[in-house]
Amino acid sequence: MVDLQPTPKQQQVRELIHQFAAHAVRPISLQADRDHKIPDEFLLRLAAMRGAMSSGEVPAEYGGEGGGLGASKDARGRSQQNRFTLLSAEEMAWGDGSVLLSLPGPGLGGPPIQFMGTPEQKKRFFSIFQDQEKLHYGAYGLTEPGAGSDVSAIATTCRKDGKTWVLNGRKCFITNGAKADWVVIFATVDRVLGRAGQRAFVVEKGTPGFSVGKIEEKMGLRASETAELVLDDVRLPEENLLGGEAHYAGKEGFMGAMKTFDSSRPVVGALAVGIARAAWEATRDFVRENYVLARPIPRYAQLATLLADGARMIDAARLLCWRAGWMADEGIPNAKEASMAKAYAAKMAMKVCADAVQVLGAHGLERSAFVEKWYRDIKVFDIFEGTAQIQRIVISKRILKDPPSF
Amino acid sequence: MISFALDEEQTILQTTVRKFAAEHVRPNLRAWERARAVPDEARRRFHDLGLALLDVPEAAGGAGAGLIASTVVHEELGFGDAGAAVALWAPHLVPAALLSLGDAAQAAHHLARFVEDPLALGAVAWSEPAGAPLEGFATVAEKRGGGWALSGKKAFVVNGDRASVIVVFAQVEPGRGWEGAGAFVVDGKAPGVTAGARHETLGLETVAASSLALDGVFVREEDRLAAPFVDGARRFFARASLMTAARQVGLARAAYEYALGYTQERRAFGKPVAHFQSIAFTLAETLMDVESARWLLWRAAAVPDGKLDLSHVAQAAVHANEAAFRAADNAVQLLGGAGYVQDYPVEKWLRDTKTLALSAPTDQLSQLAVTGLALGQPIDAGLPSSALQPIYT
Repeated sequence: MVDLQPTPKQQQVRELIHQFAAHAVRPISLQADRDHKIPDEFLLRLAAMRGAMSSGEVPAEYGGEGGGLGASKDARGRSQQNRFTLLSAEEMAWGDGSVLLSLPGPGLGGPPIQFMGTPEQKKRFFSIFQDQEKLHYGAYGLTEPGAGSDVSAIATTCRKDGKTWVLNGRKCFITNGAKADWVVIFATVDRVLGRAGQRAFVVEKGTPGFSVGKIEEKMGLRASETAELVLDDVRLPEENLLGGEAHYAGKEGFMGAMKTFDSSRPVVGALAVGIARAAWEATRDFVRENYVLARPIPRYAQLATLLADGARMIDAARLLCWRAGWMADEGIPNAKEASMAKAYAAKMAMKVCADAVQVLGAHGLERSAFVEKWYRDIKVFDIFEGTAQIQRIVISKRILKDPPSF
Repeated sequence: MISFALDEEQTILQTTVRKFAAEHVRPNLRAWERARAVPDEARRRFHDLGLALLDVPEAAGGAGAGLIASTVVHEELGFGDAGAAVALWAPHLVPAALLSLGDAAQAAHHLARFVEDPLALGAVAWSEPAGAPLEGFATVAEKRGGGWALSGKKAFVVNGDRASVIVVFAQVEPGRGWEGAGAFVVDGKAPGVTAGARHETLGLETVAASSLALDGVFVREEDRLAAPFVDGARRFFARASLMTAARQVGLARAAYEYALGYTQERRAFGKPVAHFQSIAFTLAETLMDVESARWLLWRAAAVPDGKLDLSHVAQAAVHANEAAFRAADNAVQLLGGAGYVQDYPVEKWLRDTKTLALSAPTDQLSQLAVTGLALGQPIDAGLPSSALQPIYT
């Protein structure tokens, strides 16, 4: 049955997260942006709240929460995890986008371990998150200085030396890369093999030869840590190769990297929706408080159109995200829909945030008004997790019968 | 629980109408456009599908299939051809008017005709020529022994020159604006009803629209629709908007799929033109428009109790209009010269989509409605349209 409303229980959890976002996250948002850091004690509080709002990237059988309070199974026993994640992600991003990206846990490193890892690897790498006394992170290391959108061009190498793998290379723009307990690192046995030559490893903090380069200073999402990682003759046992050797017959390494995106891109879309909604609500409140009583009539239709367009496109983007998440939960291949959700949401959110700054005028440039921060924060949603251009390539390749390589 | 899955009955309807559209509608699109009508034979064949009162509740003599089912059917008909989608839907907006403004007995009484007679057509007359008052109607209804006498002029009435059942909006209490208006069911052949010349239109040429003059037309008391006018009119325009939006989604999908097919056949510079990024990305953008429009429409229609959220309806309407216009415009552009000539259907859809968009509350009114509802007060746009908001939103 077509139903485009969360369940009453999901609605309750959504409301709970919203209250947390409004009363705990928003108040620290501007300072965290200035400090380029979220206070540790706050992050520990977040870790304790994981049960309610996490995306469930730590499966229940490995000591995790398995998808949060609102992710109960449907009547046919199917998980609603992806759909619930979208609801919680939007609310948290409404509070602050960086805070959500700094949520302790495996982060983007979770899906490849879930998709590719052996049971032993899942137990080993997920179990650390049971400890809620300390902050624990996982991270995802794919991008390199010379390979961003073109993931198949990564130059970090891995070679077998007896029973040991040796990794060399550099990774950049890695979210939570410096503080992570472990990072899923993609490397190639031979660049000539392209995607078939790629392998995914879990590299733990403190491994000799594995070090943090610079921490980036960014336009937005400043409170979220973005690090460069250096691998200099990093020696890893065979057990750190995700899925083991047998997993890599064919393009598995690359497919593992890509499969992550099928579930992460709709979430990135939902984050953009959350930030856009925050900016739209600020615009609405500003209009209500500053224009309506003063009646500058010629402005009204323009403002009305702008607000209506914003509301509509925010909802359209949310529904595209839900559609992709629903497909993921149903086990329907959703690469095209995941890309559509992310591409549409990012573009929409850029417009809504720019409009917010425009409507608030000089007030919109003031830090205390938040909208200048959201305007800075939102730009990266058109870039990370596949640029706007890459999303269009993904979509195009899936609608054409005999697609070219573009 | 969030789900995009149609149930079994809805899926069967979708398959049936999709097949009908592919076999009987699309191949005839130009012939019917030139004839400026769909032939009676096609009307009968469509009537045999038994969809005439699809979303009318069972209590009012309908199939009670609900708004999602009706949305799916109108999308599929619109995918076949938007002009045919409107023309084949014989009752037009009469069920929407009776369900929104009348009671179940009135609906059952007047709608039965559309089940019995495959050629019966319906019309709803609300617009008036320039010079109408800002609030309310210039057409008046005056009390006359056991009923009402309607007099005035209506404009742009779809099926106005051929409908057997016409719902007319008229002023009952002059000077009281929308609150003082009412809706009446008029027999198309009643003395005093005179249709003007049929309009020649930009698109949707299979659909007849004309002006309508009423000169002391007698209506029985029981044919004055019972519900309070303002709330009823709001529900009516909301249902009309959903129907139009569904056709627009179908038209958008038709244009997108046509362009997707054509650009993979057409070669230039040694390869299919769809293999150039500028073309492929345009197709990708169009698909985002089509799908987001459908989901906004489904969200507005997926109300189990039938109680529509007017803001959701308005958003769905605007989005579908924009999506369909862009999809049709992109299709004409991507087909190039072939898009502009009548050997291909897409130029027709670019004309049809604009015509459709003007057949329900305009985007401008819908935008004011969305913002007005968000701010909790009507928007003073400095335009006469602000006076229309009470009934459109």
